[in-house]
Amino acid sequence: MNDSVLVLSIASALVAGTPILLAALGEIITERAGVMNLGIEGMMLMGAVAGFWCGVHTGSLTLSLLVGGLAGAALSLVHAVLAITLRVNQTVSGLSLVIVGSGLAAFLGAAGETSLLERANGVDVDQLLPDALADLPLVGPILFGYDPVVYVTVILVGVASRVLYRSAAGLSLRAVGEDPAAADAAGLHVVRIRYLATTIGGVGAGVGGAYLVLAVLGTWQTGLTAGVGWIAVALVILAGWRPWLALAGAYAFGALRGLGFTLQIAQVSIPSDFLAMIPFVAAYVVVVAVSASPNRSRRVAAPAALGEPYNREER
Amino acid sequence: MSRIMVTPRPQRSMGVRIGVPSLSLLVAMLLGALILVLTGADPVEVYRTMFDASLNGTVALERTLTYATPLILTGLAAAIAFRVKVYNIGAEGQLFMGAIGASAVALTLPSGTPTVLMVGAMMVAGALAGLVWAGFAAVPKAFLGTDEIITTLMLNFVALAFMNYLIFGSFSFLRDPTRPVPQGEAIPASATMPSISGRLHIGILIAVGLAVVLWWVLRSTTFGFRMRTIGDSPRAARYAGIGVPLTTLAVLSISGALAGVAGAIEVSGVTNRLDPQSLAIELGYTGIVIAAVARLNPIGVVPVAVLLAAIAAAGGSMQSIGVQVQVVVLLQGLIFLSVTAGEFFVTNKVALRPPPPTTIQPVADPVGGGA
Repeated sequence: MNDSVLVLSIASALVAGTPILLAALGEIITERAGVMNLGIEGMMLMGAVAGFWCGVHTGSLTLSLLVGGLAGAALSLVHAVLAITLRVNQTVSGLSLVIVGSGLAAFLGAAGETSLLERANGVDVDQLLPDALADLPLVGPILFGYDPVVYVTVILVGVASRVLYRSAAGLSLRAVGEDPAAADAAGLHVVRIRYLATTIGGVGAGVGGAYLVLAVLGTWQTGLTAGVGWIAVALVILAGWRPWLALAGAYAFGALRGLGFTLQIAQVSIPSDFLAMIPFVAAYVVVVAVSASPNRSRRVAAPAALGEPYNREER
Repeated sequence: MSRIMVTPRPQRSMGVRIGVPSLSLLVAMLLGALILVLTGADPVEVYRTMFDASLNGTVALERTLTYATPLILTGLAAAIAFRVKVYNIGAEGQLFMGAIGASAVALTLPSGTPTVLMVGAMMVAGALAGLVWAGFAAVPKAFLGTDEIITTLMLNFVALAFMNYLIFGSFSFLRDPTRPVPQGEAIPASATMPSISGRLHIGILIAVGLAVVLWWVLRSTTFGFRMRTIGDSPRAARYAGIGVPLTTLAVLSISGALAGVAGAIEVSGVTNRLDPQSLAIELGYTGIVIAAVARLNPIGVVPVAVLLAAIAAAGGSMQSIGVQVQVVVLLQGLIFLSVTAGEFFVTNKVALRPPPPTTIQPVADPVGGGA
């Protein structure tokens, strides 16, 4: 029963969805503070290259994810300087970040005597709970068979949701994203909060990228994210900037990515290129459907000041 | 109170508008040099090889201008859309669809068709394919207010997968049946774009011509006036009776058509077959940043695209000196970031605040007694 198609696909959906969820969760925090960072794809690639490099040299999953997160944060700080301090167009800055991140990651991944392209994954990603639990029929693989990152990510979703809606810090964050001038007048430090939120977004994307290469893919390839970062950008909007909905969406995208594998087992032949399309078509359909629904103003609750730089002197 | 004082520049002199981006370019090159040094490469050698490969001599210039052609078009596609605050990130996919449309036409029409008709038909097909693909984002945007950043982006990946399917995943008529390794069927000689000099084809003239046309449309036509009004204030445009949805629809369609033409020109002038690997080199995404660096000015897109093309064209030569090709993308990205950051210094004047008058300062040690 434990290796039935359904059980395997649910398990793989959660693993494949976790990097998307980490990146989307970070971006929710960033965008809730009013900063739009389209550079997720670039930050994930930087996190992936740094994390994989660290894994090759240390073999430690925790350390590799940490280094990946730092790399993502470093790149997000570039966006923070441009978008918050220099108040440039955030779409353009985010796209530049993708180009820099993918260029730098590809360059570093191919550099050196033995490049990362030729290296084997240095990290073992083991399941957290004992086999006694993971081998239980049905619920074992679906609930207990994952590595620690999957569980920690779920906890992080809970924490993020609680902080956003039930804490003073979350209120400040949302205030800055909704009406920075009012938040400023109320004594909040708009620039500092936005910097912090953008950096958290970078950490999320970086850790997500590192997890993607170490646990989901297993080897370094140039441009390995292949649109996962963009899916995360779309997911934030689809989830209406809400962490728990992002979790549901990320696992759904994870399931769609794993669909090819499932269908192969079920001996349904669909060209692999069409399978590759599915998550993107799904995201497109959902975005259009959401905007067509009658009460879209309530469902699509974008932070009011999203993407708008705050200039104190124009208050 | 911060020591740094930022004031908006009321007027931006020519010196500032040219000087700041030039300085930004220099900063990007220095940053690139730093990264090269850190990874053990010799930046002087890299930059000299780049210069030789893309600017030094006729062959090098031909190569650069050939690279610049699709970038000018995707840059224009982004520039006009961004002008009306429609963020078309989908030039990438629209370009793929244009390439597919143009290839299909070239392989369907009889190979004896005169070049003028053949290439003309390919351009029209490319433009239409790009337009239709943009329509999938434009129609929901105009009538439902669907966020176009997400729809155009998702459509890029769908178009890429579709193009891959036509060549790698199926035995479509666009694929060469005689080769064991999947590749596109070569288009007939009548479908290849006439050359100006060496590998440089007349596509560059089409691209520059379209830049001039768009500049004129924006500046001197009613449609251009509507676009500029919407760009400045969509609300004001509505009050003035301008049909914002229809103008949005039109602009996004034109934008898609321009990207589609870029794809058609690449097939006709460079790849001569539907070749996913040479087409999927982020021409669309690069175009967006080119447009931004050119401040959405159609004429400005041309020199910026040529500059970026000069760097891209040097990619092949990097291997000969043992440096990864990817350094090219890295340098482009650094230039984008640096010039984008520089924009702040074009619109704002940054100076150190003069030190506050000494009388206000508390006197710490009035008599000089000391401890």
